[in-house]
Amino acid sequence: MKPLLAAVAIALPLLAACGDSNQRLVNNDEYGDYRGGRARNRPQGANAGLVVFGVDKDREAREAAAAGGAAGLSVNAYLWRATLDTLSFMPLASADPFGGTIITDWYTPAGATNERFRAQAYVLGRQLRSDGVKVQLFRQTLERGQWVDSPVSASTNADMEDKVLARARELRSQSASR
Amino acid sequence: MRKILLGTTAVVGAALLAPSFAAAQEAPTVRIGGFFRAYYGYTQQTGRNSTAPGATGSTLPTGVAGATGNLPPDAPGGNQARLSKNDFSTDGEVHVFVNGKTANGLSYGAVIEMAFNQQEGRNIVQQRSSTGKTTASIDEWYAFVASPTWGQVRFGDEDGPVGGLMNSGVITNFGTGGVYGDRESFVTRQANDRTTTSPGSLGDATKIIYLSPQFFGFDFGASFAFNYNEGEDTGCSTNQSSGYCDSSYAFTGASGVGIAAAGPNFSARRNEYQGAARWRGSLAGVGLSVTGGYVGAGAARELTPVAGTQARVFNNLNVYQVGAQATAYGLTVGAQYEHGDSNFFWGNTFRGDRPMDQFFAGASYTAGPFTFGGNYVMQTVEGASRSAFSGPAADAGSKSGLVASTAAPGSAGFGAGLMRRLGYGIGGNYRIAPGMDIVAEYSSYTVAERGRDLNPSNPGTQDKATAKVFILGTRIAF
Repeated sequence: MKPLLAAVAIALPLLAACGDSNQRLVNNDEYGDYRGGRARNRPQGANAGLVVFGVDKDREAREAAAAGGAAGLSVNAYLWRATLDTLSFMPLASADPFGGTIITDWYTPAGATNERFRAQAYVLGRQLRSDGVKVQLFRQTLERGQWVDSPVSASTNADMEDKVLARARELRSQSASR
Repeated sequence: MRKILLGTTAVVGAALLAPSFAAAQEAPTVRIGGFFRAYYGYTQQTGRNSTAPGATGSTLPTGVAGATGNLPPDAPGGNQARLSKNDFSTDGEVHVFVNGKTANGLSYGAVIEMAFNQQEGRNIVQQRSSTGKTTASIDEWYAFVASPTWGQVRFGDEDGPVGGLMNSGVITNFGTGGVYGDRESFVTRQANDRTTTSPGSLGDATKIIYLSPQFFGFDFGASFAFNYNEGEDTGCSTNQSSGYCDSSYAFTGASGVGIAAAGPNFSARRNEYQGAARWRGSLAGVGLSVTGGYVGAGAARELTPVAGTQARVFNNLNVYQVGAQATAYGLTVGAQYEHGDSNFFWGNTFRGDRPMDQFFAGASYTAGPFTFGGNYVMQTVEGASRSAFSGPAADAGSKSGLVASTAAPGSAGFGAGLMRRLGYGIGGNYRIAPGMDIVAEYSSYTVAERGRDLNPSNPGTQDKATAKVFILGTRIAF
């Protein structure tokens, strides 16, 4: 009996590892809890309770889903919308809501015809947070008929990000008051 | 940004280590959860009264000396004090959950469930030297590591795959659980009129558990425990091998604890192993779950105090279990059958005793916030054992040391044999809010064994005992 059990004990996990795509981890709340079977009564099953230490990923996910719940977006909807709004004065070259990237085409401000700008923005996650968006501006100036790369002051990028965040805050408070 | 970088690094790491499962590292969280419940109970139970030992032949069961010491000896037709039928009962647990995930996709954590019902009976040892019923204790605690590739390992005091984790057909999701519910909070132990051969009653002995991932609808689990005990320390009160020692494989008095003694995890069970396989899936919109399982265990040997002979008085615990349930449109029906060498309370039987048969059936229906249901259990086991351990017989060469009982029906030690245990419960609950229910339930449980006095503290031969409990109350899980 014992060698058989040992063989089974070794063989079964190996067998289980062969399931491949038909395989998944069984969640903790799929097992019974016989000291009264109380786990089933918990509002969120195995993710029940109050987080007293650490980051509550489930809650973040829930809130992000509730806040930015637009289907098809894998980034925070407020940040995404705010970035689009903020960069809307420039022509849009590409926008990928799954990767969270927005890339504009070259844009020349009305008052300064010898310089042009281009922007790349990244919305970085599902959470509405201050480091959730990154904007990078590129500037070129016209020198002797040639567009030449020239530096952008670091504060310009930060200013753009602040504008996006301010707009996101606006959108958030608008939807909250609805 | 740093978080993002960490996250992407983790994804790369996961991609290298476990190609099919990319996951980001998660710092551990600590959660507090648990439950609290408060019930009113109305109990009708045979023999829930005290009569003094004396003229009419009633005797006190062992271990309860003093329980009826406040009564004078029996007088004809008098001197009975009944227990009240009405009572409130509260219980709660605080659970701590630790959960984290490593960069390569392993989930890990621990569960610590603090209970506050250590003592079933109040035991005044001396003046100012006693513990209350609500003394804190541990229900379950274990650590786990889980991977989508190879499953989960739990290590600690926890139910096994057969003992609660993976059963099918045990329908208890209504009221307080019907016949396996909280009724025992209101029932006294007289005549063992309780329903404790539920899956979870197999015990939370410290064990190591393997639970496989699910593949093609199947998952399976196995567990092993060296003995019946939980927690740290040896349990030994001295150097002597005694039943209190977690790991003693032979001790004097083992023959008395084939069925575990209440309270101190005092049992003869040793080397318990469980294995279960489960299939879950759906056919034509009907959710199905089927489980087959086995639990086996050895038993400590009885040690004679005179010659030190070790006698194998017990059969191994040896129980097969099959169960199935189906769910559709809120209706769940299920049944479970168990057969093998075991007594009630999952006790080890004496050698030569009959095996246990147990059949359970239940159904429940959920509609919106309401759930109703009923369940039924029927068990036959060896009752008063047909034999008793005799030290001299073991010393004289008998391997089991068991001597057939010759006592007359109705007298102490009479081995009538077949004990029937029947119970049913019906109940319902209404969900006030997520996690909070109002529950109502009625359950009845009967123990019968022809010719055997199940209740020696009452006069005459009481060969049938019934307890009926009505519960109304509330509970919240958080």
